[in-house]
Amino acid sequence: MTLTVLLVEDDRELRGTLRAGLEVEGYRVLAAASLADALALWSHAAASGQPPALVLLDLGLPDGDGAELLDRLRRDQAVPVLVLSARDGDGQKISLLDAGADDYLVKPFSLGELLARIRVALRRRGRALQPAITHYARAGLVVDLAARRVTLNAQAVHLTPTEFKLLARLVRSAGQVVMHRTLLAEVWGAEFTAHTHYLRLYMGQLRAKLEAEPADPQILLTEPGVGYRVAEGDEP
Amino acid sequence: MNPASLLPWLLAAALLGSAASLLWALQRLRQQAHRGTRLARRAVALRRLSETLRDTDEPLQQSAHLQQALLALAEPDPRPAAEVTLLLLKDALPADNDELAVLRLGPDPVDADVQAGLWLCLRECVAFGPGTGRHEQQGAWYLPLHSRGGRQGSSGAACLVLGRWPSDAHEVHELRAHAQALCDQMGQALHRAQAARATRLAREEAQAHKLRNTLLAAISHDYRTPLATILGAASALQEQADRLSVEQRRRLATSIAVEAEQLSRLTDNTLQLARLDAPGLVLRMDWESAEELVGAVLRRVRVRDPQRRVRARVEPGLPLLRCDAVLLVQLLDNLVDNALKHGGDEAPVEIRVRQLPGSVVLAVRDRGPGVAPGLREHIFEVFQRGDASAARGAGVGLAVCRAIAHAHGGELALRLRGHGGASFECRLPVAEQPASAPAAPGMSAGPLAEGAAAP
Repeated sequence: MTLTVLLVEDDRELRGTLRAGLEVEGYRVLAAASLADALALWSHAAASGQPPALVLLDLGLPDGDGAELLDRLRRDQAVPVLVLSARDGDGQKISLLDAGADDYLVKPFSLGELLARIRVALRRRGRALQPAITHYARAGLVVDLAARRVTLNAQAVHLTPTEFKLLARLVRSAGQVVMHRTLLAEVWGAEFTAHTHYLRLYMGQLRAKLEAEPADPQILLTEPGVGYRVAEGDEP
Repeated sequence: MNPASLLPWLLAAALLGSAASLLWALQRLRQQAHRGTRLARRAVALRRLSETLRDTDEPLQQSAHLQQALLALAEPDPRPAAEVTLLLLKDALPADNDELAVLRLGPDPVDADVQAGLWLCLRECVAFGPGTGRHEQQGAWYLPLHSRGGRQGSSGAACLVLGRWPSDAHEVHELRAHAQALCDQMGQALHRAQAARATRLAREEAQAHKLRNTLLAAISHDYRTPLATILGAASALQEQADRLSVEQRRRLATSIAVEAEQLSRLTDNTLQLARLDAPGLVLRMDWESAEELVGAVLRRVRVRDPQRRVRARVEPGLPLLRCDAVLLVQLLDNLVDNALKHGGDEAPVEIRVRQLPGSVVLAVRDRGPGVAPGLREHIFEVFQRGDASAARGAGVGLAVCRAIAHAHGGELALRLRGHGGASFECRLPVAEQPASAPAAPGMSAGPLAEGAAAP
């Protein structure tokens, strides 16, 4: 089945380039140049029973901020939203993720990066309808969340309960950035959201146990100023 | 009349006369002694004020000293009605009598006549009042705060009301000369301070101008070169696509991507440099792990470094750094990019982090030709390049790196390595560490006890 992508981008050149790149990959693309266009395309597609499977959203639009559309979509839609931002401020990234964006890409970005993020977002949403992820595997690391078991190259790895809880939270969002604040609130509690140094310590311990080269991690990735991301798992 | 009978009278008259002249001489002596003391006291007052003003960059803050010195003119006779009002210019003379442009000391609220007199005196830069030949009927002296003998205009004015005016015209003259000398001290100090302010402003302006010009010059050079490549490659693809082989097309596309990447980095660095230079910069400080920063840099670098020339060595047990993670990653990324470009084609590049007493050093080390002696001093300045003909873009990169290090209270220095190559070393101060992290709540009862994990 062909997946439909709603592309909201006011720059004509970039819109054309992205549309071409996405169509080559087999996506059907609805392209909008403004907030009003995007809303019209969305309602039309939804009415015809084929709502877009993903939204690519530029922030600076001629008739308003893309964040408004994000807000409106989030009220009743579970569709994944990838934000394309020209603003490289981390405060911005955090507030967008807070507002419900699934991920963000800072311009300029390569088509390869964009396609990879789209795949992650679609897979995650697909999984959202199924039972929660209980199994993660990548590069010799296997995490079995149900059995609370972690193995590295078939060797059992002993994690402390806190380390395991932190890893489990990241694995549940594999491929996606999880903000510092979210991790702190869910692992330690809401009153610890400013204690980033807890994360530095426990992530360091996890890297020491799970990464071949802790200073050059392949699985437990850092998003400076935003949070952490566990690399996407291997295909089952 | 019997002359003899006149003698006692004569004697008496002579005695009286000499007594009178003695008295007169004594009186003169006493007056001269008084005058001497008065003059000495005034010289001391003048010297004190001059010393106070010499040691300050902000003479306005010392204006109470002038007020005190002028009030002390009334001594040694107590003249309780003595009153001093000062008007001092904060900066240049305003077009109208704007109270915001001046500092006023003295009775509050100020008498309207005194206020008008002070502004007049300030603007005309002449003294008036008793004995000056101008506005003699005024019961007060209005003295301008001269600078450099009045040639530079006045920096303020003083209004002086004495309880009792000296009866002697000479003494009036002396008293006013002394008051004027005190006022001129302040005038000169204010003038000096204003000149220093103007010079500083002009210098800052010139520096900003210079930075702007260097940035513009750099944009015209460093931006044009990658743009030329991009435009050339893109137009070749556009116009000759049918005649190019697949391999040729791929090569053109690659050079577009590489050069665009370069432009993007240059833009990031130029914007960051301008941001770090702006006043009121706020860093997003947090506790960061050097290992994570290095890991994030390596992940960015791998795209440009498929042969994995860049390696990392991070000492275990490092303290956390209090820093802006995004800026520190930009710093290391620039240094690595620099090393990959200038550090020789195949040679390895190493990111090394180690701890020294009170600081952490993040170093990026290569085995390239190093940096020519003449350039070592200037390599951190905006848009200097190690070799003008070689790879581009090192200049703004290193300038940003140093600005980032400075914004964190650190230093960035170049060290030449023993067996060839350069090491760019960023030394950051270590802040007092936060309290260590507890285990997550509700976890201790689990089958995996906290701490049981130690290998």
